[in-house]
Amino acid sequence: MALIRTQFTSRKLEEVFSTSAGAVYQADSERCLYVDFAGKRTRLNFLCFLRLKTAVEKVDIEQMLLDAEAPDLEIISICACEHCFVLDATEILAFRELLQGAFVMFKLNHIIKDCLYRLPVS
Amino acid sequence: MKDLIRIKSMLSTETEKHLNQQIKKEAYASAIYLSMAGWCDRNGFQGAADHFYKQSDEERDHQLKLFKFLSDMGGTAISPEVTNVKQEFGSFREVFEEALEHEIAVTQSFKNIMAHLHKEGDYVTAEYLNWFLKEQREEEYVARRILELFDVIGEEGTGRWDIDRHIHKIEYNEA
Repeated sequence: MALIRTQFTSRKLEEVFSTSAGAVYQADSERCLYVDFAGKRTRLNFLCFLRLKTAVEKVDIEQMLLDAEAPDLEIISICACEHCFVLDATEILAFRELLQGAFVMFKLNHIIKDCLYRLPVS
Repeated sequence: MKDLIRIKSMLSTETEKHLNQQIKKEAYASAIYLSMAGWCDRNGFQGAADHFYKQSDEERDHQLKLFKFLSDMGGTAISPEVTNVKQEFGSFREVFEEALEHEIAVTQSFKNIMAHLHKEGDYVTAEYLNWFLKEQREEEYVARRILELFDVIGEEGTGRWDIDRHIHKIEYNEA
C-alpha cells in the first residue's frame, strides 16, 4: 500500500485501493478515509464509508439503463455526511468497483494483522 | 495501516448481513403470530389466542436480543420493515400447521447462520447463538405437540374446543 504525504498538511495517507477512476486512502492519525472520485476528495469516517458503499450498491443500474423515463443521473447522499455524489451509470459502476476493492483490501489488512501481530506468540 | 474494519466491529460484513436477515425474520414471526392470535380470538379460540399472543411477544424478544447483540458488537442493526403478513386462515388446524412450518424455517435459518459462523471461525457469535438453537428445540416441540392434538383428540363434536383448552398445558421439559 503506497504511502503519500499530502501537499498542504503533514497527514499521512495510505492508499487502500485505486482504479483508473479514483482512489481510496486511509489516514490513521484521523481514523478516517479519503475518497478521490468524480473530481473531488471526500473525507469520511468508517461508518459513513460503509453507508456510502451500501448506497452505491443499492442503485438499480438495470432500471437506469433500460427505463426511458428513469433519470440518467443518480444522486447518492448519505446521512450525517455533508457530501453527495451525482453520478451516471458508468460512474456508478466505476465507483462500485473502487469501493468493493477497498473493502477487499480492508479484509486483507485484517488477515495480515491477525497473522503478523495478533496470533504469533512473542 | 490501522485495521479499521476490525476496530469498528467484531463482526464481518457477511455475519452482520446474516444477523440483520434473522432480525427481520424474528420481526415477521412476531407479526404473523400476532395475526394468528387475532384470528383465533375472533373465531372463539381463547386458549390458542393466548398462546399466540405469548409467542408473538417471545419472537419480539428474540428480535431485540439479536438487535442489541449486533449493536453491541459494533455492527449496524437495521430495524426491519415487515410486510405481507397473512391475516386470514382456512381453519383452526391450518393456523398450527403454519406455525410449525414457520418454526422449522427459523430453525433452518439458524442452522445456516451457524454453518457460516463455523466456516468463518467466528466462535464468539456462534456461542451467543447457541441460546437461540436451544430455544428452537422448545419452539418446534410445542408447535408439533399442539398439532398432534388435532389427531389425538380429533376435531369432531367438541374436539376443537377441547384442543383449545389443552394448548396451554403443553410445555417442553428438557431430557
